[in-house]
Amino acid sequence: MNIKDMARTCQWETLLEGADANAITSAYTSDLLSDVMANAHDADLLITIQAHNNTVAVASLAGIKAIVVCNDRTVPDDTLASAQKEQIAVYRTQTNQFETSCAVGKLLQS
Amino acid sequence: MLADFHNHSCLSPCASLEMSPRFIAEEAAIAGIGMLALTDHNSARNTPAFATACQKVGVIPLCGLEITTAEECHVLALFDAPEPALEMGKWVWNALPDITLNLDRFGDQPVVDEQENIITMIDRLLTSAIQHSLSEVQDETHRRGGLFIPAHINRPSFSVESQLGFLPPGKYDAIEVLAPEANKYQQRYPDIPVITSSDAHAPDQIAKAPFYLETTDTTISAIRKALRKLCPTK
Repeated sequence: MNIKDMARTCQWETLLEGADANAITSAYTSDLLSDVMANAHDADLLITIQAHNNTVAVASLAGIKAIVVCNDRTVPDDTLASAQKEQIAVYRTQTNQFETSCAVGKLLQS
Repeated sequence: MLADFHNHSCLSPCASLEMSPRFIAEEAAIAGIGMLALTDHNSARNTPAFATACQKVGVIPLCGLEITTAEECHVLALFDAPEPALEMGKWVWNALPDITLNLDRFGDQPVVDEQENIITMIDRLLTSAIQHSLSEVQDETHRRGGLFIPAHINRPSFSVESQLGFLPPGKYDAIEVLAPEANKYQQRYPDIPVITSSDAHAPDQIAKAPFYLETTDTTISAIRKALRKLCPTK
């Protein structure tokens, strides 16, 4: 499923638009970026509440194409600037990590 | 002189009740520590008693807090007197979630005087993450004239590395590293002073991992300069 369709279906707020070509086939949910760095290499999408600048750097290292920030957390400008540079899409949702993961899981399995 | 920048008193819910500010100061003096910091979780309320106790035993006090940032990184904010530490503490308190201390899970959080008398008990859990980010805490600490030092950055929990993957660029006055890896980290970050600290929570941990700091002047700016000398590139 491409990231734009996923974001629209899940009603995420778009902070930084992803490319149409960005197909999401797997996701990883974690708030510990050392864990993301070690274990998220097969994921296209990161589900997290961590909106720090390092989230983008770690996502980039892991080959992640999009980040969805849960619980309506504030995303600082420097995070978005880094994401633009790394061409990583950034979305925000009011739902928590579990609810977001369930919604993404449903879409990926359908 | 030997310096130890990270210690918890009885105010921290995870520290031993024996760790009164006076006890820590006296034990550190016996162990030969010349400069000692008190850094309770998200509070500086025991630093007035600590500063008095240190002066009585000839130890230079640093008054600080170990702040839990929004990312759940532990960082030290250090000042050369209780007042700015207490002011920083008010800023932290206003951003600390109002979660009641559960005494089944945590220890008491007593504020004490230099004679070890209890002044008051804090009933809001002090170890929670505050609403401010790492960079916001850094800027606020510097704005108030303090030293900003990420704590135990190579620890697998509550550290910059565990939470953020690696140390982001910042204005660090030093980074605190668990002792066995101090040399490795100083090589990895040649431009940032690397220190070790005891992070004492119990009597037998006092003065176990100090570092050597060469300074006679004890203002924050002099300490910052002395820390810079620890870098191999300086």
